[in-house]
Amino acid sequence: MEYSESFRVGIRSIMAHKMRSLLTTLGVIFGVAAVIAMLSIGEGAKREALEQIRLLGTNNIRINAVKLTGDKAREAESKYSDGLSYKDGLLIRENIPSVRAVTPIRFIDAPVMKGNKEAAARIIGTDYLYPEVTSFRVEEGRFITPLDVSEAKRICVIGAKVKRELFGYRSPIGHRIRIGEEWFRVVGVMENKKLREGKASIIKIRDINRDIYIPITTALKRFRDEEKPLFVNEIAVQVKSAELVEPTARIIRRLLKRTHRDVQDYEIVIPAELLAQSRRTQRVFNIVMGSIAAISLLVGGIGIMNIMLASVTERTKEIGIRRALGATEQDILGQFLNETVLISATGGIIGIVLGVVMAKAINIFAGWETVIALYSVAVSFGISAMVGIIFGIYPARKAAQMDPIAALRFE
Amino acid sequence: MLIEAIDLHRVYRMGENEVHALRGVTFGIERGEFVSIIGPSGSGKSTLMHIMGCLDRPTSGSYILDGTPIEGLDDRRLSRLRNRKVGFVFQSFNLIQQLNVVENVEVPLVYMEMDRHERRERALQMLEAVGLGHRSQHRPNELSGGENQRVAIARALVTDPDLILADEPTGNLDTKTGHEIMELLKRLHEQGKTLIMVTHDLEKAKWSSRFIHMKDGKILHDFRDTDGTDIVGMFYESTMEQETQ
Ligand SMILES: Nc1ncnc2c1ncn2[C@@H]1O[C@H](COP(=O)(O)OP(=O)(O)OP(=O)(O)O)[C@@H](O)[C@H]1O
Ligand SMILES: [Mg+2]
Repeated sequence: MEYSESFRVGIRSIMAHKMRSLLTTLGVIFGVAAVIAMLSIGEGAKREALEQIRLLGTNNIRINAVKLTGDKAREAESKYSDGLSYKDGLLIRENIPSVRAVTPIRFIDAPVMKGNKEAAARIIGTDYLYPEVTSFRVEEGRFITPLDVSEAKRICVIGAKVKRELFGYRSPIGHRIRIGEEWFRVVGVMENKKLREGKASIIKIRDINRDIYIPITTALKRFRDEEKPLFVNEIAVQVKSAELVEPTARIIRRLLKRTHRDVQDYEIVIPAELLAQSRRTQRVFNIVMGSIAAISLLVGGIGIMNIMLASVTERTKEIGIRRALGATEQDILGQFLNETVLISATGGIIGIVLGVVMAKAINIFAGWETVIALYSVAVSFGISAMVGIIFGIYPARKAAQMDPIAALRFE
Repeated sequence: MLIEAIDLHRVYRMGENEVHALRGVTFGIERGEFVSIIGPSGSGKSTLMHIMGCLDRPTSGSYILDGTPIEGLDDRRLSRLRNRKVGFVFQSFNLIQQLNVVENVEVPLVYMEMDRHERRERALQMLEAVGLGHRSQHRPNELSGGENQRVAIARALVTDPDLILADEPTGNLDTKTGHEIMELLKRLHEQGKTLIMVTHDLEKAKWSSRFIHMKDGKILHDFRDTDGTDIVGMFYESTMEQETQ
């Protein structure tokens, strides 16, 4: 029998029992949906990690200040460690030859005004190496210079969105804006960096287009923290080459351990490792979802097999008639196997749609990034077809091996 | 010779028990004959029909259909032979209830792998020939018994087989409809088909040109109606003979 004919017979038989076929495929539907959702979350997390790596730089190492509480805070106080400081950055720059550049980052919490317009911005104290380390360029004007740093000038470089908010389409160069109680002259505007909206990240991606950069020295002096005068929130380190990232991180760890007297008031983040880290977090999730998918598919497959066995018995007479009219065992086998695969593949398609909806819902309600990759659709469809073949072969063989005469006599 | 059967035996094994349905049957049938097989229930008539139709194989003995010995043919070849050379007509019609009339007639052509349009065309032609062209889209359960049997006959004829095997074709029909079916079969015979019919009804057996009387898995008598012999009379004679023995 030709395949197209077998296909038509299969479709008919499924359509004759719509409700039964749908119920039969529920297991496959949920199994496939779970696979799709799982893969989409995995893919989303991977893309997000890649996005962070892109933003932080592959050859980079980040050192973040960690706020200590309770016992640990008291311990830090007794050991006279006053957190991550500007000096740490200078130390790294001077003592580690594999380091190409180091730039400090200090966040300042202050309102940004121009006239009576206020901008939603984040003020960052840094130095002239920042653009090089972060590969984030100036679009108009210039960035902070070594002279700005050494003289602690009151100048600033603003992000593209800040510029648009405060100046519209006019050039802001030379104009003054107020940060906290101080007036700053705008000397440059950063390029507009396209960002994907990341929601579930190990490090929150902030919208760097809303940054305002001022010299680190100005930040430390004008927005002075009396308790920790040299405190910085982050230090960005750029290493000479990718292979040197690991060994350099080790050296930094040792160096900081000594200068901080064993107090863990900082953490070292290697962007390249974020991917592995996000994979590790994913693994537990994958095991859970994978088990759900496997159990659903198994139960679904057994359900399909059951229904097909019932269908074979129900259609014994038809099998006898077809055999008498010239159907081979192979024809009968093909007919039933094809029908099973059709049922499970239809379940697979419904499952894929459900999985896509689930992924979207997870994205909206749980805030996790989800991405439906084409390969995951193909894999899921393949799995559903496989379930049909695996669980269809037994009923189909049973049908094919029936004695035609006994089948004809069946009422 | 279209059919050659030499010393056919068929034994059904059911656990410990063995049922001998055929115990050495030998005969030949020429093209164009109309043979009726008669005999008591359980005498092996249907078993013989199934072997002649290549739906079953003898336990021993040899069966040759149109020059092809079926011994040693695999399922695929045997099914092909059955599909091309044989048309079955059953007592209970055996139409597939899920398919409509014309689709039922098409089924043998599906296994012949005929093109879809050609298939439909041929099936409709056959339905016309049995006078049911106007019923092609109906379901079998919407038709009368006689009409069902005509559809079955159309289906048996659709591959243009050499041999039509009808196992009690009028068994489920009333006298009048039975008569109509017999006329249809007679016409096929006149058109040159070889026809073998199992029947319990001597009146129906009269329509044929040859008459095989079976009992206990053997052929008791084999009469040829060459010059208007009274086959019914001969049947009674043969049964009397049996009883006196
Ligand atoms: N599949 C089978 N398994 C076991 N025994 C069988 C099988 N088919 C037929 N028989 C036995 O073989 C013998 C011949 O059966 P068959 O059906 O050929 O008889 P028949 O002449 O067609 O009878 P009827 O006129 O009632 O249709 C019977 O005794 C029957 O019980
Ligand atoms: Mg019988």
